[in-house]
Amino acid sequence: MSGNKILTEATVKHLEEIAENIFRMHLYEPHIAQTSHAGQFVNIQIAQGTTIFWRRPFSIHSTNPESGIFEILFNAVGRGTQVLKKIKNGAKLNLVGPLGNTFNHAPHLEEIIIVAGGLGIAPFKLLLQDLRKQQLKKTVFFGVSSTANLCCLDEFSRLGAKCRVSTEDGSKGYHGFVTDDLQNYLQELPDSSHRELLVCGPTPMLRKVQEIAQTLQINAQVSVENIMACGFGACMGCPVQLAHPHDDGKRYLLACKDGPVFNMDEILLDD
Amino acid sequence: MTDLSVKIGSLVLKNPVMVASGTFGYAEEFKDFFDLNQIGGIITKTVTLEPRPGNAPPRIAETASGMLNSIGLPNVGVEHFIIEKMPFLQPLSTKIIVNVAGKTGEDFVEAVVRLEDVDRIDAYELNYSCPNVKEGGLTFSANAAIAEQVTRNVRKVTNRPLIAKLTPNVTSISEIGKAVENGGADAVSAINTLVGMAVDLGKKRPKLSTITGGLSGPAIKPVALAKVFELVQNLSIPVIAIGGIMNATDALEFLLTGAVAIQVGTANFINPRAPLDILEGVRDYFDKNRIDGISSFIGSIKT
Ligand SMILES: Cc1cc2nc3c(=O)[nH]c(=O)nc-3n(C[C@H](O)[C@H](O)[C@H](O)COP(=O)(O)O)c2cc1C
Ligand code: FES
Repeated sequence: MSGNKILTEATVKHLEEIAENIFRMHLYEPHIAQTSHAGQFVNIQIAQGTTIFWRRPFSIHSTNPESGIFEILFNAVGRGTQVLKKIKNGAKLNLVGPLGNTFNHAPHLEEIIIVAGGLGIAPFKLLLQDLRKQQLKKTVFFGVSSTANLCCLDEFSRLGAKCRVSTEDGSKGYHGFVTDDLQNYLQELPDSSHRELLVCGPTPMLRKVQEIAQTLQINAQVSVENIMACGFGACMGCPVQLAHPHDDGKRYLLACKDGPVFNMDEILLDD
Repeated sequence: MTDLSVKIGSLVLKNPVMVASGTFGYAEEFKDFFDLNQIGGIITKTVTLEPRPGNAPPRIAETASGMLNSIGLPNVGVEHFIIEKMPFLQPLSTKIIVNVAGKTGEDFVEAVVRLEDVDRIDAYELNYSCPNVKEGGLTFSANAAIAEQVTRNVRKVTNRPLIAKLTPNVTSISEIGKAVENGGADAVSAINTLVGMAVDLGKKRPKLSTITGGLSGPAIKPVALAKVFELVQNLSIPVIAIGGIMNATDALEFLLTGAVAIQVGTANFINPRAPLDILEGVRDYFDKNRIDGISSFIGSIKT
């Protein structure tokens, strides 16, 4: 079970650039480290300034319940993450968490197939930690634009996953889109039952995976990345449209509270 | 310790710190963050007669010192509200104020009639002012005659205190305020959000699906202060202040300007414990400055 959400201060313990402009931050906050599961996120207050008004949500990348440390990954491209990458060890960050639901795969699977595009890799280290003791095949399809953007592969291998990399420029692994590599892999399997896809990444990638999963009738769960104001269901600002409402009208769920993890066939993906 | 209780008509709040509609869900979302019974009152997310799905995404955009929203009043409708949301609120020992909106004047009346049988509702706030409803939430608050008539019709079906929530998106907010006072409102609350717009240069389109939305947060505090001041000067019923209140200083400024109570809105998203922090700050201020009696402080601004 996940713990209650709390408003707390975490201490920055370590910050490293693990790939081009991709940072991993180690934060000390025992409640988060001990009660969070894969898919959940923390909503961090970055600055109390005029231009960065909201908190920013980050997937929990990994946890170490013994040391009380958890990790987040971020790409320093936005206004918020530009500030975050300059934060010094020992600084305190005000955050709310753990928030959201978790990946929840069916029992008795043969294989878990992770499909990640770019920073969509973030939630899956914790997923592999959560699954460490389970005897099932774990395969990671990781798509990036170029080798410079790759990260986490050693750790994923250590956690028992087999990694398949795709680069759009062909600098490593499969040359092309990760979804093409995935499609080839699935089509070659004699039987795609007892498998589940766990997916996170940019919308065009998600659309393609949705299509593949539908055609091959494989269950797929997706972690969506919406903009959020509160992160815990109070503002209703993060709607995700239901694909099959029980009437003709439009129906929405909330990414922060009902998600961020949804069954892929349950929702419509927006741009 | 200073007695912080204030009166809004027949409604007595143990302190003047409440939370604004649409920014506090149905309170349950905040139960992990602080003891909800500490604050003076909780105003629910707007309830309508029929369920509403709300607007398409994107519904929110961050702006300088604030945000825009175009949520579109999603809610489960009054029947489900009573069954699903009231049971959490009923056992609380703070005041429960249900915010109601309607497409027509009759909708307001019918929703209130339905809520009359429900225990533990201490007052209604009539949302005459949501800028995000296509059917024209604005017509109620932008037209004094209609606002007065709707208030009068709701007044006929309930003895519970009525608070009319006003929009700043009008030429004269005090004209509307006087109209609802004539219609029988016990108090007004102001302000709702200001119409605004944000543009996404990269995508070459507006940031909100509805093009414009409502601006809230610290960016609107000076506007809110001016509107509250204007209402206090012109009305004889109490004024409840809303707009950009982030901390105790903000809250005290509104009380000094003449508001009998305040509502914390957008601040709840940034600091989910803001209502309690603000209450403690207000209490400290009165204790430290040996102000005995909040009523002598309210409206004591020197002009
Ligand atoms: C996301 C959001 C949703 C809101 N929903 C409602 C609502 O359902 N009913 C209502 O009367 N006001 C609603 N409001 C307006 C607030 O109650 C308040 O009047 C306004 O935000 C100004 O106060 P603030 O600057 O403290 O947020 C909403 C505001 C926001 C930001
Ligand atoms: S971010 Fe506020 S409800 Fe989801």
